[in-house]
Amino acid sequence: MTLTAPGSILWLLAHEMRIYWRNFRAGRAGKGARGLISLVVVATMLVGGGVLAALGLHAVEVPINPISISLAALVSAVVFTLMLSQTLSASSEALYDRGDLDLLFSSPIGPAKVLFVRSLGVAGGVLTIFALILTPLLLPSVIWGHPGWIGVFGVLGALALASTAVGLLLAMALFALIGPRRTRTVAQVMAALVGAAFFLVSQTRTILGVQKSNSLFAEITRQAQEGRLHPAPIVGLPLRAMLGEPLPLLALLAGSAALFALAALTLGRRFSDAAAATQGKTGARPAKATRGDARRAFASGPFLATLRKELLLIGRDAALLSQVLLRVLYLIPTALLLSRNAGHGTGAALAGGAGVVAFLAGQVAGSLAWITLSAEEAPDLLAVSPARIRTLRRAKLTAALVPVALLLVLPIAALTWFLPAVGAWTALGAALAAWSSGLINIWHQRPGKRSDFKRRGGASWMATIAEMLVSALVAGATGLAVAGLWPWALIPLGLAGASLLSLRRSDAQIARNLRTR
Amino acid sequence: MTEALIVRGLDKTFTKPAVMDLDLTVHAGELYALLGPNGAGKTTTLRMVAGLTKPDKGEISVFGIDARADPAAAKAITAWAPDEAMVYDRLTPLEYLEFVAGLWNVEPKAAKARAEDLLAKLGLAAEARTRCEGFSRGMKQKVALAGALIHDPRLLILDEPLTGLDAAAARLVKDMLQERVDAGGTVILTTHILEVAERMADRIGIIAGGRLLAEGTLDALRAQTRKGGAGEGKDGSSLEDVFLQLTAADANGGAA
Repeated sequence: MTLTAPGSILWLLAHEMRIYWRNFRAGRAGKGARGLISLVVVATMLVGGGVLAALGLHAVEVPINPISISLAALVSAVVFTLMLSQTLSASSEALYDRGDLDLLFSSPIGPAKVLFVRSLGVAGGVLTIFALILTPLLLPSVIWGHPGWIGVFGVLGALALASTAVGLLLAMALFALIGPRRTRTVAQVMAALVGAAFFLVSQTRTILGVQKSNSLFAEITRQAQEGRLHPAPIVGLPLRAMLGEPLPLLALLAGSAALFALAALTLGRRFSDAAAATQGKTGARPAKATRGDARRAFASGPFLATLRKELLLIGRDAALLSQVLLRVLYLIPTALLLSRNAGHGTGAALAGGAGVVAFLAGQVAGSLAWITLSAEEAPDLLAVSPARIRTLRRAKLTAALVPVALLLVLPIAALTWFLPAVGAWTALGAALAAWSSGLINIWHQRPGKRSDFKRRGGASWMATIAEMLVSALVAGATGLAVAGLWPWALIPLGLAGASLLSLRRSDAQIARNLRTR
Repeated sequence: MTEALIVRGLDKTFTKPAVMDLDLTVHAGELYALLGPNGAGKTTTLRMVAGLTKPDKGEISVFGIDARADPAAAKAITAWAPDEAMVYDRLTPLEYLEFVAGLWNVEPKAAKARAEDLLAKLGLAAEARTRCEGFSRGMKQKVALAGALIHDPRLLILDEPLTGLDAAAARLVKDMLQERVDAGGTVILTTHILEVAERMADRIGIIAGGRLLAEGTLDALRAQTRKGGAGEGKDGSSLEDVFLQLTAADANGGAA
């Protein structure tokens, strides 16, 4: 039996890679010239950056000292957290999204082998994403003067294997602790938290305040200058491996491969049992009626019924929740900065912060409005009902705005407590940006699937750009108003209004646009 | 006799003609089966009646309401259940029915009682508060049927209502439809299971190539095949025989 014989690990891996590649191509299909142009632009920028870096670093020898060792370890930790957020999500999907698992499990191939290959696929997927970004940036330096830096790819591979192992272990632990249904939700939320961890750590200074925290880099430098920084030898492995030293590189690869093998093979049996346990129950909640459920009256009329339905669907969408959570996490440092400045008086940071809150409110509302308006799962049901389309749209827009309002109510209330005028301007700006994004999504609906939310794959290109533009203009107006320059705020506000007027579509135009798709 | 549905001169062309100059009459209180081979135009016809597809030409009257001039009024007394159940995976059947009842503006208290009653009748009481995502196709079909009945429509339009149902569920649905017709309701359905149409339908319409080939009771259809020379058309011939004779004659360009 050869290595590539049907049923072998390599054969299965080739199958996984073919499916992965075809899904990737299918995802890119239809993007046409626009997709190609953006790909070329990004690639050119990356290669340009790589060439510039090679020129600058040509004669630079990276010293091996406590600072560089600590920084390399820190960068590795950051990459690891980013990879972990992907592998955790992918591991829970491997368990849940049946795909061809039923077919493979019904074949004579052992489930442990199937899941080992799937785990390799998770590691390969995350490695590919990082390698695609890193290769054009690093390769010019490797070719021109620093061949040893090829070791960075080895470190990347080791991190991919290790993060997959930890992702699998976490998914299994969640499965054992909270059961199959909640694993997917919690894994998605955890992935968002892990993904944002680097950003939040980098914002420590913003979150804790200048007096309470120095930046991590400054702290490392200070400790090194004072001679207090003595990293353990193991901490030096990433830097030495990145610089191409064979033994550290081998040690890292062997360690991560062992961890991966332990997770994928030792847990393979339990993982396959867990995957089998999910067969036929793709997340159905056990039948139990709470007293509140049984007593609760039905919503009255199309508006309330649609609003309730949309809010239920938003609340039950794990992927959507994790994406919104991610955006909220990115909002935390800004919100804290805003409240701290509010405590101390006004300033440029306060105006900027208010603008950021308005902008993010517009962006989150735009995404949710796309989900509620365009990603309708049963459009025919609404079409055959006698409910007025305007009533339904109003309900769907309200459903998109409610979560934004809930997210912002506390920070804006706190802000208003300190500075009522600033709070009022920020609330007004956030409301206006959110409402504008919602309107744009009504006028430029483009039916899509809820599962496309993560990449807004189904959203209208024009709506996405317009949302961003109008949110930015309203954010600018908010910032100017907070800074006390409210007459100047009328300029971006007027531009936002003009943009909205030019984007406006009548009911007949919306209907015609939907019919022609 | 009150007419539940009158269709006159209905035309619809997509890339090629789907429905051509179609006339159809469904009496109030009858079960009407619209039969035809694949691609005959059955679903397009029903979608036009339900207000989902805009006809190029023609008139549609639902219980005297001009459905093209006042679609909301026509929709208020009509229900449509397609072969692919229109349910939300992340809602429970009860939540789904609450939503549908809201769309048709059913009084909340009455809607809740009716929803619980329908789910019980369809054998879904135990799953009333379980999300639909784990349901079989048949269970989803039953939830969709409950949705179609929640506002007590005068005209119920069903496209392949028995697809995906097991024998017991299919019997349950057939009994419910019969019960509805016995109580004075009107049902139009399409089906490929000719025995169902033969046993249940008061009148049958046979459509092919977007045109109505024949319409009437089974006896009238038998007589029509005899008269039109479409085949043997004996008194005891089954609906399947009649259907095949009529559609074969049409395919061969013969008059049916």
